[in-house]
Amino acid sequence: MSGRLLQLAWRNLWRNPRRTFITMAAIAFGYTMLLFVACLMAGLRWQMIQNGTCLIMSQIQVHAPGYYPSRSIKKTLGGRQGTDVSAMLAAVTSDRRVYAAAPRVYGYGLLSAAHRSAGVELMGVVPDQEPKITILNGQIAKGSYLNARMPKGVVIGDKLASTIGIDVGSEIVLLTQAADGSMGNDVYTVAGIFHSGLDAVDRGLVLMALSSLQDLLHLAPARIHEVGIKLNDITAATTVAAGLQVQLDKTLPVQAMAWPELAPELASYVQFNHAITFVLFFIFFLLAVLGIMNTMLMAVFERTRELGMLMALGMRPVQVIVLILTEAAGLAVASLVVGGALGVPVLWYLQEHGLDLGGATGGVISLAGVVVGHLWYGRQDFPAYGEAAVGLAATALVSALYPAWRAAHFQPTEAIRKV
Amino acid sequence: MLLGLALSSVALMSHAADDQGARETVERVARLFSSKSSIATVKMQISNEDGQRDISMKIWSLGEKVLVRITSPQDEAGTAILKVGSDIWYYLPKSNRTVNVPASMAMTSWMGSDFTIDDLVKETFLTRDYSISTFFVGKRGGVAVEEYTLTPKPEAAVVWGKIILQIRKADAVPTWQGFYDEDGQLVRELTFSEYKRMGGRLIPTRLVMRAADKAGAQTTIEYEDIAFDVPISPGTFSLPDLK
Repeated sequence: MSGRLLQLAWRNLWRNPRRTFITMAAIAFGYTMLLFVACLMAGLRWQMIQNGTCLIMSQIQVHAPGYYPSRSIKKTLGGRQGTDVSAMLAAVTSDRRVYAAAPRVYGYGLLSAAHRSAGVELMGVVPDQEPKITILNGQIAKGSYLNARMPKGVVIGDKLASTIGIDVGSEIVLLTQAADGSMGNDVYTVAGIFHSGLDAVDRGLVLMALSSLQDLLHLAPARIHEVGIKLNDITAATTVAAGLQVQLDKTLPVQAMAWPELAPELASYVQFNHAITFVLFFIFFLLAVLGIMNTMLMAVFERTRELGMLMALGMRPVQVIVLILTEAAGLAVASLVVGGALGVPVLWYLQEHGLDLGGATGGVISLAGVVVGHLWYGRQDFPAYGEAAVGLAATALVSALYPAWRAAHFQPTEAIRKV
Repeated sequence: MLLGLALSSVALMSHAADDQGARETVERVARLFSSKSSIATVKMQISNEDGQRDISMKIWSLGEKVLVRITSPQDEAGTAILKVGSDIWYYLPKSNRTVNVPASMAMTSWMGSDFTIDDLVKETFLTRDYSISTFFVGKRGGVAVEEYTLTPKPEAAVVWGKIILQIRKADAVPTWQGFYDEDGQLVRELTFSEYKRMGGRLIPTRLVMRAADKAGAQTTIEYEDIAFDVPISPGTFSLPDLK
């Protein structure tokens, strides 16, 4: 492309500033909208993954092979002998990508108080380790979280508490089938009541000290079911899980699973979210195409006479096409810069303040088994921004192609005569 | 109840659609175990991949009320299960509490055995809940037997797809019972043996339950003693006395 053609394109763009600005506005606005959508959808994905993993599940779980998903209480890490729990935690946290790890024990049982009882899931955690990987300790609505001074304290969900009719300080009996088949049972005191916003959790989870649950289930202190892991970067979960699998398997048979395996519904939600983002992008592209095509067609047809003149002066058809495409490309780049500049404050606001959905829904929103909260935060998705920019630029060029092709086939004499 | 699991049931009106002869035989067998009241001493032996556990218990029954109390091993002794009407209660000596067991838990394993809580305390009414037909008459392992297919009636609240009951022809005592799911797969089987005269009747004193999906695991129940139609104070089955 010759320098003269560039110069010509540049001059053409400024010959009718209003027309240029209208076209630019179409592209720039389209780009800002795409940034907005991409940012919100990425934010939703991020929030879903974060909230879905940080409440109880954690990001990676290490079990004995065959423990998950049946959760038989006998299948502890290291089998019947158990394992050196602190050595295992040390092995896990020696990986630099791991932020923290904590041991867990699970069981099922009957919670009974006065004359009412309910089947519950029992989860044993170490009170000063678990809060490093999950946030249920921050959801206490009444009373307090587990602590070492109250080994027989339990924390239950608010819905369970109201169903059974118990409160902080109430005594309850937990009855379970212990690992040796006998009926494990003991009296506990409700130390705290949490509200997670997830019905199944608020209705069915009893949190207690790891050692207390081991006593109840007749499991030796070396026998745990799971190591829960939080990573510095959650997007590395699957890779880190594969690495831990290989590393830990050297000392004892394990199965390390990352959250997409543990919560397939969450993983498929993330897939679904990607699909929706694609569809929304497609719709916005279509709108952008219509806008750009329209202005481009108008711009070229308006200039029939001018282009005819150029060809009469000896410009070849291919040069006409290159000229118009150059104009379109210049227009697109300028528009994307403007659209991006308009988008920056919007994206910043979404990331920092989020969209408040509380007004529309009146409270906490949960989606696919995950509490999202009433604030919808955006998250920067630079690859998507890049794709949107490339897509729009391509759209602008493709939209200019047809009018350019038409213009190139004008008969100069007819074109000049056209008013 | 344990014996009742197989066969308890008092004579109930017969059903025209049934195989009349089969129904009469099953009813006669059922009557062998029916009584107004009973007191039994039972030993349960649970073996699985974790080893073997022995539990001794005493069982009182009066009408539909049943009380089971564990007498050994030491750390479980005193644990009791009481069924009055449709309510099931546990007494837990360690916690010193009485706990109401929801119906959903009644189908779970009793003390890690192959029997459920329902097996232990719930009466089954074979002739009321099932249509009965003759499945096989002849010799099995050189012993003349009769086998009956028990298919649940549509309105019956039972979990099995069908039950097959095998009876020894010579003295009409049960020898084997298979429990099938709705797809016709054998879920568990109960084998009777050690026929002895106890409480004035000839009864199988050894019952072995095996679950089809747990190879190598089985639970044996041995009756050490049983007395039928003995006077029992209704107070035995009161909730406060559970302790």
